[in-house]
Amino acid sequence: MSTQREPVDPSGQPIILQAQKLTRHYQLKQGLFAPKATVKALNGVSFSLAKKRSLAVVGESGCGKSTLARQLTMIETPTSGQLLIGGVDVALANRAEIKSMRSRVQMVFQNPYASLNPRKQIGATLDEPLLINTAFSRSERAEKIAAIIDRVGLRPEYVRRYPHMFSGGQRQRVAIARAMILNPQVVVADEPVSALDVSIQAQILNLFMDLQDEFDTSYVFISHNLSVVQHVADEVMVMYLGAVVEHGSKDALFSRPFHPYTRALMNATPALHEADRRIKIHISGELPSPLNPPSGCAFHQRCPYATAQCQLELPQLRPWEGSQVACHRLEQISG
Amino acid sequence: MHTQHDLTPLTPADNSEEFAPVAVAPLMEFWLSFSANRGALLASLFFTVVVVCALLAGVLAPHSPIEQYREHMLTPPVWDVAGNADFLFGTDELGRDILSRLIYGARISLLIGLTSVLLSLLPGMALGLLAAFYPKRLGVVIMRVMDVMLALPSLLLAICVITVLGPGLINTTIAIAIGNLPGYTRLTRAAALSEIGREYVTASRVAGASTWRLMFNAVLPNCMAPLIVNATLGFSSSVLEAAALGFLGLGVQAPTPEWGAMLSAARDYIQRAPWVVTIPGMTVLLTVLSVNLMGDGLRDALDPRLKRGS
Amino acid sequence: MSLLTIKNLCVEFGHGRQAFRAVDGVDLAVGAGELIGVAGESGSGKSVSMMALMGLIDPPGKWSADQMLFDGHDLLNMTVQQRRKIVGRDVAMIFQDASTSLNPSYPIGFQIREVLKLHMNLRGAELDRRVLDLLEWVEIPDAKNRVHAYPHQLSGGMNQRVMIAMAISCEPKLLIADEPTTALDVTIQAQIMELLLRLQKQRNMALIMITHDLAIIAEMAQRAYVMYAGQVVEQQALPALFEHPKHPYTEALLAAIPEHNKGARRLAALKGIVPGQYDRPKGCLLAPRCQYAQARCKSEVPSLQNVDAGHVRCFYPLSYLLSTGG
Repeated sequence: MSTQREPVDPSGQPIILQAQKLTRHYQLKQGLFAPKATVKALNGVSFSLAKKRSLAVVGESGCGKSTLARQLTMIETPTSGQLLIGGVDVALANRAEIKSMRSRVQMVFQNPYASLNPRKQIGATLDEPLLINTAFSRSERAEKIAAIIDRVGLRPEYVRRYPHMFSGGQRQRVAIARAMILNPQVVVADEPVSALDVSIQAQILNLFMDLQDEFDTSYVFISHNLSVVQHVADEVMVMYLGAVVEHGSKDALFSRPFHPYTRALMNATPALHEADRRIKIHISGELPSPLNPPSGCAFHQRCPYATAQCQLELPQLRPWEGSQVACHRLEQISG
Repeated sequence: MHTQHDLTPLTPADNSEEFAPVAVAPLMEFWLSFSANRGALLASLFFTVVVVCALLAGVLAPHSPIEQYREHMLTPPVWDVAGNADFLFGTDELGRDILSRLIYGARISLLIGLTSVLLSLLPGMALGLLAAFYPKRLGVVIMRVMDVMLALPSLLLAICVITVLGPGLINTTIAIAIGNLPGYTRLTRAAALSEIGREYVTASRVAGASTWRLMFNAVLPNCMAPLIVNATLGFSSSVLEAAALGFLGLGVQAPTPEWGAMLSAARDYIQRAPWVVTIPGMTVLLTVLSVNLMGDGLRDALDPRLKRGS
Repeated sequence: MSLLTIKNLCVEFGHGRQAFRAVDGVDLAVGAGELIGVAGESGSGKSVSMMALMGLIDPPGKWSADQMLFDGHDLLNMTVQQRRKIVGRDVAMIFQDASTSLNPSYPIGFQIREVLKLHMNLRGAELDRRVLDLLEWVEIPDAKNRVHAYPHQLSGGMNQRVMIAMAISCEPKLLIADEPTTALDVTIQAQIMELLLRLQKQRNMALIMITHDLAIIAEMAQRAYVMYAGQVVEQQALPALFEHPKHPYTEALLAAIPEHNKGARRLAALKGIVPGQYDRPKGCLLAPRCQYAQARCKSEVPSLQNVDAGHVRCFYPLSYLLSTGG
C-alpha cells in the first residue's frame, strides 16, 4: 500500500474508503420476447469515509442500501463508478491487492439467525477469515479467536457451540466478532440491531462504540431506525430509490433536515414523548418500483412540495447550509 | 381456583447463568432423536444383523454357498416335517443350503447397495454443486444431460448399460449408479441453490472464501440432510434393482449367491418348494424395509435440528 | 364497561420436568373501544397470551385461567365449539408478517370473500361490493383491479392492509394486533398506525397493540401493560407509564432507548438476557438484572399490587420521576 497515494480529509485524518458515483443496475429477464428490464438499484452514490468515523446510511426498503453494502464489501462490481480503498481503485487492483482490501472491509449482517453457518461451530466460523487471509498457525489463530470472543462479551467455551444454541443478541456478538477478527479498517453494518430487542440492542450498540474506541474502526452503519442512527453516526446519508437525497453531519441533519423525504422520515418516526412528536407530513403511496423509476426526481410523486420541474429534471446534490441536498425546491421550502 | 387443565407445579431453577442448555455433542443429540423413533431403532437392529452376516459370512454360514448336496435337493426348512437340522432354511433345486446362500448373498447385496450409492452420490453431489454455483452455462449443460438421463426409466437404463458392458457384479453396480445419478444431482442443486442465497454464504464471501471453499465448506454440509436420507432410500432401491436385474438374468451370474438371482432360479419351483422363493423374498423385503425405516428415522432426526436453527 | 377480563392466565409447554411456563399469571382487562398496549421483548409471553385467548394454543401446550370473560360471556365455562364461535366472530387478530400470513395461492379478493362468506353469510353482488368497500376502507388504491392480485404482487404495507381488511370484515369488537408494523418501513408504519387508529375510533373497536416499540405505544395507546418473562410487571395509563414508570424493568427499557441517551457515547443498557427455560431464577424474575434488587427480591416472587390506579409487580416500586429527554 503506497502511503503517498492515501488521501486525507480536511481534518487530516486518512480517508479509508471512497465511493465515486457508484452505480449498479441489474438486468432482469422478462421472458422470451419481452425486452430486458433494468433494475436501477444504485444510482451515482458518492461519499468519503475517514478513519474512526461513522457514516449512517438511512432509507427504507428499496432505497439501495443493501446494494451499496454489497458494493462496499466487493461482493459485486459496479456498473459504473469507482470504489477506492486506501486510495486504490478496486477495479484496477490485482489479486493480491484485492485480497488485502477484503480484509480491510468487513461486514455485519442484519439477520443474526441467518448470518452464521448452522453446521459450523462458532469457533470454526471465526477461524475462517483467519484461515483465508492470514498465515497464522493453528495455536495463534486459536488465541486470536479466544481474545475476540472475550472482547465481545461471550464465554470462551462457546467456541465449541453451534449457532442454534444462542440467542439473537449472542449470535450478533459472534457476527461482530467475525467482522472484527481481521482488525478491519471499515465495518459495514447492515441493520445490525433491527432484529434485536430494545435492551439487547443497547448492549450491541455499546459494543460497537467500544470496539470503535479501541480499534479506530470506521463504520458504514445502515439503518432505518432514526433514533439508532442519531446515537451512532457522525454523518448521515439519506437514500431514496438508489440515490442520495441528503448528506450531512448528524447534528445538522437532525436539527434541520432539508429534503422533504428526510423530513417525512423524521416525522413518521413515532416519538416517546409528546414534546418530540411532530406533525406527520402525510406522504401517500409507496416506494415506486426501481424497475420503472419516475422521471425527474424519484420522490416527486409523493412529495407535498413537488412542481412541474420536479417531474422533468433530476435534482443533483448541491451544498445547502452545510449539508448536501438534492432538491429543486430548497429555496422555497426550507424554514 | 378454577383451572381448565391441570398444570404441573413449578420448580424454580437456581439462578444460573446466561443461556444455553448443556451443549450436547451433535452426535449425541442426533442419537437421542433417532432412538426416539421405535421403528427406526428396530430397523437398525435388523440391519446390523444383516451387516454382521455380510462381514462374518465365512464364520456364520454353516455351509459353503456353492456346494451342492445332491442327496438333499429341495429339502424343506427345519420347521417342516421333512426338514433337516443341517439345512435350517432348506436347500434349493441344486441342493445348496439356502441359509448359507442368504448369508453370503447379504455381502453381495450390501456391496451393491453401498457401492452404487457412493458411485452415484459423490459425482451427483459434485455435479449438483457445480450446477448451482455456475448456473448460467455449466449448470444448464449439466441439468439438460441429467434431464435426458431421467427421461429413461432407470431399470431400462440399467439394462442398456449391462447390454453394453456385459453382466456381472461390477457392471451391475455401475448400471445402477448411472441410473441414480440424475436424482442426486438435482437434489444437490436444489438444496445448494437455496443455501447460496443465505447470508452466511455471503458472510463467507466477504471473509474472502474462494468458490471451492464456498461449495464444499460452507454450502455442502447444509445440503447433507436430504442427501443422506435419499442415500438410504437409494440403498434399498439399489438392492431391489440388483435383485430385479438378477431376476432377469442380467445381473450377478451363477453360481454367485445373489438374492435376486436366487428368486429367479426358483421360479419354476414356486408350487413344489415355495420356501426357495419365499425365504429369499422375505429377506429382501425385510432388508429393504429396514433401510427405509432407518431413512425415515434419519430424516426425522436430522431435519428438526435444522428447523430449530432457523 | 369491560369488554374483556382475563385473570391469572397461564400457558405451559412441555410436560413434567421439562414444563415451561411461557405465560405465568397474566391479568388483562380491556374496555369497549379502548386502545391498550402490551409492551415486552422476546420471551415476555405477550404473543402467547393473545394466542391463548384466541384458542390458538395447540396440545401439548396447555393453558388455564381463573377467569376469562368476553362481552359478558364466560369463556371458561363453555365448550370449545361455543368459544370458537364467539371468539371467531368478535375477536380478530393480525400478525407481523402479512406476506406470509396470507395464502400465496389465492388472490386477495378471494381470501376476503371467503371470510365474509363464512361469517357474514353474504352472497353474490352484495358480497363483491362489500369486498370492494373493505379494500377502499383500508385505502388500497385501485381496489377494483387489486382485487385480483396475489399477495406476492403486493408490497408488505399493502398486504398488511389486506390483513386488516380481513380482520375487520366481520365487524369484530376486539382487534388484536401482534407487531403489525415491525416488518414495515417507517413511512408505511405511520400510515398503518393512522389507519388502525381511524378504524378503532370509527367502529368503537377495542384494540390490543402488542409491540416491543415503546414509542408506538406512547403515540397510540391509552393504557399499557409491560410484560417480562411471562408476567405482567406493570400496568398504567399513558403518558404516566413512560414518564413515571414504577417498575425497574420499565425504567430500564426506557433508559436503554437511544432517545434517552442523547449525547452519551454509551447507552444505559440492562445487563444479561431474559431468562429462558433453564435459568428461571428463584424469586423475582428480574432480580439478577435489576440494579435495585434486595435480598427479598431474590427469594420471594412479588405479586401484582395496585399502585395509583395502576399495577406493579415489585417489592420496591420506583417512586421518583424519570427525567424526560436530554
